[in-house]
Amino acid sequence: MSDRTPLTPRTPPTPRTPLTSRARRPLLATAGVLLLCALPLYAEAYWLQIGLFAMAAAIGAIGLNLLSGGAGQLSLGHAFFLAVGAYGYAWLAGEPGPGLPAPLALVLAVCLAGVAGGLFSPVSGRVRGIYLGVATLALVFIGHHVMLNAESVTGGYNGRAVAPFELFGFSFTGQDPELLVLGVPFGAEERLWYLGLTLLAVAWFTARNILRGRPGRAMAAVRDSEVAASVMGVPVARYRSAAFVVSSMYAGLSGALIALAFRRIVPDYFGLVLSIDYLAMIVIGGLGSVGGAVAGAAFVTALPLVMARYADALPIVDEPGGPGHVVGPTEAARYLYGAAIIVVLRYAPGGLAGLLRRRPARARPEPSPTGTDPAAGAAPPLGTGPHVTPLPVPSAQRKESRP
Amino acid sequence: MSATVPPPPPPLTVTDLTVRFAGLVALDAVGFTVRPGTVHALIGPNGAGKSTCFNVLSGVCRPASGSVRLGEHELTRLAPHRIAGLGVARTFQNIVTTAGTVADNLMLGRHGLTKAGFASAALRLPHAVREQRTHLRRAREFAELTGLGALFDTPVGLLSYGDRKRVELARALCLEPRVLLLDEPVAGMNGAERDRMAEVVRTVRAELGLSVVLVEHDMGLVMRLADEVTVLDFGRRIAGGTPEQVRNDPAVLRAYLGTPATADPKPSTAPDATPPHAAPSGADQESPA
Repeated sequence: MSDRTPLTPRTPPTPRTPLTSRARRPLLATAGVLLLCALPLYAEAYWLQIGLFAMAAAIGAIGLNLLSGGAGQLSLGHAFFLAVGAYGYAWLAGEPGPGLPAPLALVLAVCLAGVAGGLFSPVSGRVRGIYLGVATLALVFIGHHVMLNAESVTGGYNGRAVAPFELFGFSFTGQDPELLVLGVPFGAEERLWYLGLTLLAVAWFTARNILRGRPGRAMAAVRDSEVAASVMGVPVARYRSAAFVVSSMYAGLSGALIALAFRRIVPDYFGLVLSIDYLAMIVIGGLGSVGGAVAGAAFVTALPLVMARYADALPIVDEPGGPGHVVGPTEAARYLYGAAIIVVLRYAPGGLAGLLRRRPARARPEPSPTGTDPAAGAAPPLGTGPHVTPLPVPSAQRKESRP
Repeated sequence: MSATVPPPPPPLTVTDLTVRFAGLVALDAVGFTVRPGTVHALIGPNGAGKSTCFNVLSGVCRPASGSVRLGEHELTRLAPHRIAGLGVARTFQNIVTTAGTVADNLMLGRHGLTKAGFASAALRLPHAVREQRTHLRRAREFAELTGLGALFDTPVGLLSYGDRKRVELARALCLEPRVLLLDEPVAGMNGAERDRMAEVVRTVRAELGLSVVLVEHDMGLVMRLADEVTVLDFGRRIAGGTPEQVRNDPAVLRAYLGTPATADPKPSTAPDATPPHAAPSGADQESPA
C-alpha cells in the first residue's frame, strides 16, 4: 500500500451524541430531583409511603443490579440480605438489643449485611450465573427459619417493632420536634421521604461510580468472559465474591429503610417472592443500569399499592373478600408485571433504561469498516503516531517479575 | 523519552510440557525457549496444540507435567491473573472483547496496574480519579499505536472484525507486558491490515523490548517477523530454528504437505487416504512461504 494518502479516512472523533441530548440530561435530572424534593409539600401520606417503599426497593434493586447486571451473577437470596439489614437495624437500635444511636445502627446493619454476604463468599466466588441463583435459594429458607426461631432478636412469627430513626435529636419517624414547612406539617412520612431520598442518592451515586470505574470494568469482564478477565489480570473469584458482598450491603441498607417505613417487620415479608420481585425489578428496569433499577423498583413496588388504592375503580380487580371477588390487587399487579417481564424480554431486552438510551447507532468515523475492504487498512503509517514510551510503571508493581 | 529502554524480559522456557484431555494428548513433551526480546513463532497444522500451548502459558489450562518458567517464576502453578501480573499478556484466536467502549476494554488491560477498589471507586476518591485519568492517557497511546485512536470512545460491539482484533492487541499491550502472546493476530485480515499488524508487532517489540510468542498460519508473516520458529504437529515439537532452517526442514514439509506417495511404506493414491492432519486445510496455507 504505497498509495496510502488518497485513502486516509480516519478523521478525528466527532461528538457522537447530539449536543442537545447531552445538555438536556443534567437539566432533566435537576428537574427530577427538585420535583422529588418538593413532593412531600403536595402529596398525601399514602403516596409518600408508596414512594418510600419504592425508594427502599430501588436501593436494593441497585445492589442486585450490580451483581446481576454488573457481574453476571444471579441471586435469589436478596430477600435474606434485606432481612439481615432490617432485623440488624431493628435489633441494634432497639429494645431488645443494644439500643445504639440510630445512624450508627444503620451503618452497622449495612456492614452486617456485608458480612453475611462475605460469609457466603466461598460459594459466591466459585459458583457462576444461574447456579449461584440456586445456591442462594437456600439462604432465603435458612433466613426464614432463623427469623421464626431466634425470638429474642427477631420477635419470632409476629416480628418486632422497629426503633425510630433519630439524627441529632431530630426524629425521622415521629413528630419531635414539630416541623412546619410552608404550612405543611411534616410527619413521619415526609421526614422519612427525605431520608430515603438521601440514601437513594448515595446508592445511585456510588453504584454508578462503581460500574464506571475499575471494579465495574473488572466485573463486566468477569461477566462477559471469565477467561479473558483472568488473563487480563482480574482475580475472577475475588471479584465475584466482592460483587456479592457489595450487593448484600445495598440490600442491607434497603432492608433497614424498609423496616423504618413499615415500623414493624415480620418474617413472612422476607420470603422467596420478595427475591423474585427484585429480579423482576432489574429485568424490567434493565440489567446493568442504575437508573433502570430505580425505575423497575418504582414500577414493581408501586403497582400493587396503586392498584389497591383504585381497586374499586378497576374492572375485575377488587379487594379480597368483596362480593364476586375475582382477583385481588396484589395478585393482579403480579400478573401485570409478569406480563411486563415478557414484554420487556421480547421487545426491549435493555429494559426501561434500554428504551431511554435507544438512539441512532453511533456513526463510525470510517466509511468502510469491513475487514475485506482495503480502505480499512489505510490508516496513517506507524511512524506518524505517538511513540510508545517505556513503562511509567511504579517499580513496586513490577518488582516480583524481575529476576 | 524512549531513550531509556526497559530491561529485557526474562527468558520464557518451556520444558517437557504435556497436556492431556481425557486420553487425547494435546501436547507431548514440548519444549522451547523464547529468548528475551525476540519474536518466537509457533506454527503447525490445525490441531497441533498451538492454542493449548498458549492456554498453558497464560495459566488458563493446567499441564499434566512439564514446566514453564519465566525467569525465576514457574508459571504452571500460578493462576491466570498472577501470570498476567508478571507481565504475560495474550490475545485470543476468537476475539474476546467485553462490553463497553474501546476505552473500557483497554482500561481492563490496566487492571493489574491500577488499584482503585470498590470503596474508592464508589466515592470517587481523588486518588482513584487521578489514577483513572493517568491510565486512560496511557491507554489512548496504545490505541493510537494500533490505529484505534479515532475509535477510542466507540462501543466495541460496533467495530469491524479487524478493528476488534486490534482492540485485543491494544488491550494486551495495556498490561505493559514483558511477554506478549499473540494467537493468530492477522487471521481473517486483508493484506493491508496484515501489513499494519506486522508493523505494530515490530514496533512494540523494538520500542518496548518485549518478547513475542506468535501463533500464526500466515507463513509470509511468520517468515518476516519471527526470529525463531517452533513447529508443532500432533502435540509434538517436530522442528525448530530460524525461519530459514524450518522452511527447508523435511519433517516440516512432511507435516504440512504430507509424505510423497513413493516414500510411503503403504502407498495410498487416493488423496483422502492421507492422514487428516497431513492434508493441509486452506487455512493452513493462506499465503505460502
